[in-house]
Amino acid sequence: MRKNWLLRRVLASLAVLAAVLALNFVLFRVMPGDAVSTIIDPNFSPQAKERLRELYGLERPLPEQFVLYLKQMLTFRFGLSFLSRKPVWDELLSRLPGTLILMSLAMFCSAALGIWLGVKAAVKRGSWLERTVLRVGAVMSSFPGFFVQLVLLMLLAHDFPIFPLRGSLSVPAPSGAWALLADRAWHLALPVLSLTLMGFGGWALYVRNLMVRALGEDYVLMARARGLTKDRVIYGHAFRTILPPLVTILLMSLPGLVSGAVITETVFSLRGVGSFLLEALSGHDYPAAGASFYLLALITVVCNLLADVAYGLVDPRVRLEGVNR
Amino acid sequence: MSVFFRRASFWFLVFIAAAGLVGPRLLVSPADVVGAPFARPVWWRGDLSTSKTAEISAAGGRAALAADGFAKDDGLRAGASGLVFDWKTQPAAVFALEGEITADPARTVTVTWRTPGKDFELVRRDGREKYWLNLDARDMIFKQRLGLPLIGRGTERLFPQKGRYELAVGGAESFRLKLTLRGQKQGLLGTDQRGRDVLALLLNGIGTSLTVGVSATLAATLLGLGFGLTAGYVGGWVDALIMRAVDILLAIPTLPILMTLAGLWGKGLWQLVLILSVFSWMGTARSVRALTLTVRESPWVEGLKALGAKKSYILRRHLVPETAPIVLANVALGVPGAILAEAGLAFLGLSDPRLVSWGRMLHEAHSFGAFTEGAWWLIVPPGLGIVSLCLIFMDMGRFLEERIDPRLGGEDHAFR
Amino acid sequence: MLSVEGLRVRYYGQTHEAVSGVSFEVPQGAFVGLVGESGSGKTSVVMAALGLLPSGSVAAGAVTFAGQNLLALDEESLRRLRWEKIALVPQSAQNSFTPVKTIGVHIEEVLRVHLRLRGEAAKARAAALLEEAELDAVVACRYPHELSGGQKQRAAIALALACEPSLLLADEPTTALDVITQAGILGLLRRLQREKRLTVLLVTHDLPMAASVCSQLFVMKDGRLVERGAPEELLTAPRHPYTLRLVRAIL
Repeated sequence: MRKNWLLRRVLASLAVLAAVLALNFVLFRVMPGDAVSTIIDPNFSPQAKERLRELYGLERPLPEQFVLYLKQMLTFRFGLSFLSRKPVWDELLSRLPGTLILMSLAMFCSAALGIWLGVKAAVKRGSWLERTVLRVGAVMSSFPGFFVQLVLLMLLAHDFPIFPLRGSLSVPAPSGAWALLADRAWHLALPVLSLTLMGFGGWALYVRNLMVRALGEDYVLMARARGLTKDRVIYGHAFRTILPPLVTILLMSLPGLVSGAVITETVFSLRGVGSFLLEALSGHDYPAAGASFYLLALITVVCNLLADVAYGLVDPRVRLEGVNR
Repeated sequence: MSVFFRRASFWFLVFIAAAGLVGPRLLVSPADVVGAPFARPVWWRGDLSTSKTAEISAAGGRAALAADGFAKDDGLRAGASGLVFDWKTQPAAVFALEGEITADPARTVTVTWRTPGKDFELVRRDGREKYWLNLDARDMIFKQRLGLPLIGRGTERLFPQKGRYELAVGGAESFRLKLTLRGQKQGLLGTDQRGRDVLALLLNGIGTSLTVGVSATLAATLLGLGFGLTAGYVGGWVDALIMRAVDILLAIPTLPILMTLAGLWGKGLWQLVLILSVFSWMGTARSVRALTLTVRESPWVEGLKALGAKKSYILRRHLVPETAPIVLANVALGVPGAILAEAGLAFLGLSDPRLVSWGRMLHEAHSFGAFTEGAWWLIVPPGLGIVSLCLIFMDMGRFLEERIDPRLGGEDHAFR
Repeated sequence: MLSVEGLRVRYYGQTHEAVSGVSFEVPQGAFVGLVGESGSGKTSVVMAALGLLPSGSVAAGAVTFAGQNLLALDEESLRRLRWEKIALVPQSAQNSFTPVKTIGVHIEEVLRVHLRLRGEAAKARAAALLEEAELDAVVACRYPHELSGGQKQRAAIALALACEPSLLLADEPTTALDVITQAGILGLLRRLQREKRLTVLLVTHDLPMAASVCSQLFVMKDGRLVERGAPEELLTAPRHPYTLRLVRAIL
């Protein structure tokens, strides 16, 4: 029963992946028109172009090209970037840690702050805290993230120059492991702060709604009847029950963070996969753009699958479908 | 429904739309350069300089003057030998002099800028009948000639202190000169990095945001309605196919795909609308399909079918009006998303550069050093514009949603 | 054991009283029944006694247990009494368990909080409790949704007895169960009451069922106590017209 459900989810993800690969092929090889100029830098010599033509099978009909393309994508062989002349995969790999750190810090901080506030708001119903949380949560989704970031940048990097204006590292970079770490943290502070500010409102609202419903359930009343302390009832029973949807939302928010990373990396001039995609698109660097898009889509598919799996793990009712419903 | 029209957000929208329609006609064209780069708003505190221009034509001992920006007590006077006036504020941001001077070739023509501190000889020429001038204190050659520091605005040295200033022309028969002194303050909302009026840019941006926001959402809603009704009513493999497509489209990361299509295919306005609508119809399709499924099973539809009504009739006369309420709410709630998406893409530089858009304004602010100048007026107005439009549509959408909910029951069908 | 005097209960936002001046006594070691149709206020009496009325509701009068008026106690004192002295077997045990915790975890939790029992000792006691409730020990590893209605009810009884309370309040423990399971649960309650010398207050709308196990019956209607007495008296010679109607409905 459990294996069946897991298998179905994995198959669905594979279907999406197939669609993404096809889409990638169309976008980055077929659409631009001249297939050649999507892989081979127009500035290469004619002989080099000829050899690359053969290598990439650009003489062969489209379906064969597609198969070749699939092989390349699945083995992460993305070719050379037009702009840097270096292998795209190396470039992406060097930028991946920065993006991942930014995304995970942002997710952790906004979720932690939002969940904490959401639980407090649900427990203290009718208080000013609850009303503020509801209002902020509702308004936040109208604010474009980059606007908040630009304002923060202006305030905290120009008017009161506490944080740096741009970059992932100071130039010249400081020496020594601790100094380097501190410098990186200092540069990441504003981006993470802005993403947290943008993100906590949604979390707080969602958690507050879930908790209000949970606290009204019979089993919570029974937990109180059993002489458990208030904290134990709130966190051990009510909060524990809303954990499954929270975990799912946590993982489902990852793809959204991917988009957020693109914008954030642009605003703060950070070095990451998002800014890489933008640079590649602006410079018509097809190999690099195709690879970045593919990687981002891959991350999204994996995150969605993880979200499904995690929900099944945390909520036993989903796992054992069909038993005594 | 009339309650809707009394809602504050509706009237805010009307006001903004009107401003967007009328404003651009009343103000200068947003593409025109009206002031110095990064000029502050005119109401900014401090004795910052404002823009002043003076055009003087002199011939045969008489002079005609056309001036703008000078106050009565600035003591502006023009004569056959030039201009004279008081300067009471900080230095101007831009100093430009252009025009032509006619003189006897044998005589030496000079144009001198006399300040309370030093005199600057701007021109000393002879040997020609007519001289054309086009001087700007930002030019390197100008700075070199006058010994001004090469870095920074030369105008600081040209306006050493408050006092009496004179533009003296010597050795000329006749001349027409225009002195343009662009101020540190300009316009209600300042200027951008090129010196364009920010208020004009802001008002022109309204049209872009509203056009993209509303059209993209309407298109997406129509698509969603179409697919949702088809999936729900026809069922079978058509339904499965459409739902599979929905799942796949939803699984593709939004911003990257929008960026890719805009970056590689086209940045034009209508291309953007198309791209946005193709990737936002899925939500509407799902809710419409769910509603269609419930209505399809309902007894009164069964009754209609028993009476021999054709599928298309049922679809047109009954199902579509049923879905109208949610569709309306979805539209209102979907517009903010479209506006934000357009702003986001524009901010990343992936929109038409010739189109005035709030996102684009933020892009230029970010890329052209608004932060080094501390030019908050380039960031706050367009940002607040986006926020306001989003809040307005969300308020309207939520209002519609609340009104609509009780009617989704289906009980009142029996009484149609 | 439990003495209710002039209890009045009004829920938040309502004008009428759910309970209007109810008084009765539950002797120690007795198995008594509080009978009435739904809406008569009987559950409200139980909730008021435990201090579990929704916030904003008002309870006046006195509910005396072990010399203390439960209505006058603060939350912390009440909490210490709950489960250790007074336990509740709830109405619709369907929703009384936290969905994401196993039965075993529920029992071990109260053992830890009230009796400071942990680890192996706690597990052993939990298994013993389940056995007494005529359940298989493996039930401890099950989640609430995996059990049948009858099993859940027995588990609720096992849980209620975990800390050896002296008073057991059973609120409609057999509703929504089939007749055979009902009989089983009832039998279990009777046996446990005898073995552990519990005082049990059974709340139900089922007069014949209450009559078969209780030594005393209290009949409620519209928030008031309309009749009291031994089952034989009530069945053969009911005084109040409502009781008469209830009795007539059986026969």
